[in-house]
Amino acid sequence: MGKVIKELYDYRQMIIGFVKRDLKGRYKASFLGFMWTFINPLLQLLVYTLVFSTIMRGGQHEQYYLFLFVALIPWIFFSTSISGGAGCIVQQNTMVTKIYFPREVLPVSYVTSAFINMLLTYVVVFAVTLISGRGLNPLALLYLPLIMIIEYFLALGITLITSALTVYLRDLEYILSIVTMAWQFMTPVMYGVEDFAQNPKLQLVFFINPMTSVITAYRDIMYYGRAPELKTLTMAICMGMLFTILGFLVFGKLKRRFAEEL
Amino acid sequence: MSENKVLGADLYNKKSSEQVVIDASGIHKKYRVYLDKGYSLKEKVLFWKRNRYEERWVLKGVDLKVKKGEAVGLLGVNGCGKSTFLKLLSRIMYPDQGEVKINGRVSCLIELGAGFHPDLSGRENIYTNAAIFGLTKKEIDARLADIIEFSELEDYIDNPVRTYSSGMYMRLAFSVAINVDADILLIDEILAVGDANFQAKCFNKLSELKRQGMTIVIVSHDIGTIERFCDKGLWIKDGVCASEGIIKKVVADYRDYLEEERQAALEKEVEAKTKLVESGEDQEQKEKLPSTFLDPTATAEDIDFAANRFGLGYAVITNVVLRDERGKINSTFTAGQECSFDIHYQIKKPSKEYIFGMAIMSKDWYMLYGTNQREDKKPTDLPGDTGIVTFKINNLNLKTGRYIFSVSIIDENETPMDFYRNYCEFDVVSDKGGIGVVQIDHDWVIQDGKKKDGDK
Repeated sequence: MGKVIKELYDYRQMIIGFVKRDLKGRYKASFLGFMWTFINPLLQLLVYTLVFSTIMRGGQHEQYYLFLFVALIPWIFFSTSISGGAGCIVQQNTMVTKIYFPREVLPVSYVTSAFINMLLTYVVVFAVTLISGRGLNPLALLYLPLIMIIEYFLALGITLITSALTVYLRDLEYILSIVTMAWQFMTPVMYGVEDFAQNPKLQLVFFINPMTSVITAYRDIMYYGRAPELKTLTMAICMGMLFTILGFLVFGKLKRRFAEEL
Repeated sequence: MSENKVLGADLYNKKSSEQVVIDASGIHKKYRVYLDKGYSLKEKVLFWKRNRYEERWVLKGVDLKVKKGEAVGLLGVNGCGKSTFLKLLSRIMYPDQGEVKINGRVSCLIELGAGFHPDLSGRENIYTNAAIFGLTKKEIDARLADIIEFSELEDYIDNPVRTYSSGMYMRLAFSVAINVDADILLIDEILAVGDANFQAKCFNKLSELKRQGMTIVIVSHDIGTIERFCDKGLWIKDGVCASEGIIKKVVADYRDYLEEERQAALEKEVEAKTKLVESGEDQEQKEKLPSTFLDPTATAEDIDFAANRFGLGYAVITNVVLRDERGKINSTFTAGQECSFDIHYQIKKPSKEYIFGMAIMSKDWYMLYGTNQREDKKPTDLPGDTGIVTFKINNLNLKTGRYIFSVSIIDENETPMDFYRNYCEFDVVSDKGGIGVVQIDHDWVIQDGKKKDGDK
């Protein structure tokens, strides 16, 4: 694995190129161009606010749209990474079958580009939080980069697995969009873990779910304005490391026959 | 074979440094040939039987050690596994058994321009393409001028690549691939790049890189190129190494093999044809048969003498096999050498005597020479109902060109049985000067005029 990481570093220019091309290409043909990076989450926020605060009555959480928003943006990054990123190797089949480069470049580029997109969107999250009058706790914010990096590696680890499996099983891409939807409901995105404190079964699900601690940490920092609990952080770090290592190992095994399967 | 190995190794041990940069040992590779492959989950579950596949071993234990600065040519017929081997060296694929150890940066000229993006300009594509070879932006910046200069695309470098001609596309890709400062260059059959000038330039560049110590592995069907450029060779046959060592020896082995194969194929073809004609199953031949062949009541008056083939068909020519001076089946002869025509016949109705004849004509139907066994006062007894009568030329004194061969069988009354005007054509290659169709044996003699006068 160390060798792979060193090689990925040597191929950094290729990753940079891919990320640039992806970010540039994303909104290239559209009228508002790059502005969509900001407009899109704002519109989403508007819809969620309308639906949950007015129609569905978000319940016990005050300023529910914020409660939701600070968790939803990281979740969207995570789910697009694993379901959208699943096809990243199949899509580049001409390159994979014809030239050598560390295959990890493709999922790494995809996740990185989605990650940068989330960082840009987070500017909107900051703005909305400040405007809402909730304010931010600068001390808690120190934990934000850490939790973002953990989420990045968690997403990368799982994307490595899904993208490699998709080569062998083409419709995994479609299955994954359903899986991520179900996963979203199992993760405290629209509610908090504490909302279901009395339900031991759900608590077990939360415990197994690697995204629980990450989303909880985001919400602690951005919504409650407090540093995440040590337990949450440890859990997040362990999950992040576990999935990164697992991802690279599985990918390393499966990549050997990519050129033949494509 | 083992002798070559030792010989080649010794020679190059002395020449180049000891550092082994490519070390492939015991390489096995199999492909799964799916009979009917399903990629989706539905197909995998519902039609799991469809996922049966046959395993085909493409490489069955190939070894290759290449030292720094060597150029190695991989030879072999189509499908022998040499391109697969190159793909394993480039790490696009991995072997099922054995190990490939590569020491240094590899640049591939396997699929030129595979990473090009049609909408980006030539300049931007240089950056993305070089990045695929693992270069950083700084490194690419330093090489940009060289790459553009070598590609000769200065005027077009900022145009999108989709506007390039295929030659320009190849030139750009080649320029990138050879300018990335690789230690090892793998090339697969792509030296047909651009026009002749650019090709020559590529070759010069490759030679220069080789002198600078770059290790090069080439796959090509162009044996001449490999022989000129490489020091060592590896001939892969049916997934195993058939010959390896110094290039001259490997190329010679490979050429011998190709020649043998060609001969075997020709002999087979002739054999099959003879069989077909003798058994009367050759439809094409049947349609062309003169009507008198099939009509038992036909007499000499019914024969159409103007046809390409005519006669009563009591004895027929089933096939004529042309052999060169070495006795090998060939339709191109060397002037001044032996050649022979094996006339296969079949007798359907016995007669007192059947006389074989032949003629050689120029392409404009001018008879150069014609004769038969009676004219030559040769015996005409035939051993059986089928057999071969050979017309042998000891010294083919024709000039370079294409000639027509006629063949005939007549009976004792000179009634044509099977007369074939244009049976086949053959080529003659002559290395002697002079013009015309016939090489007349001659000499030039110069004599002293005064002396001659005095003698008189």
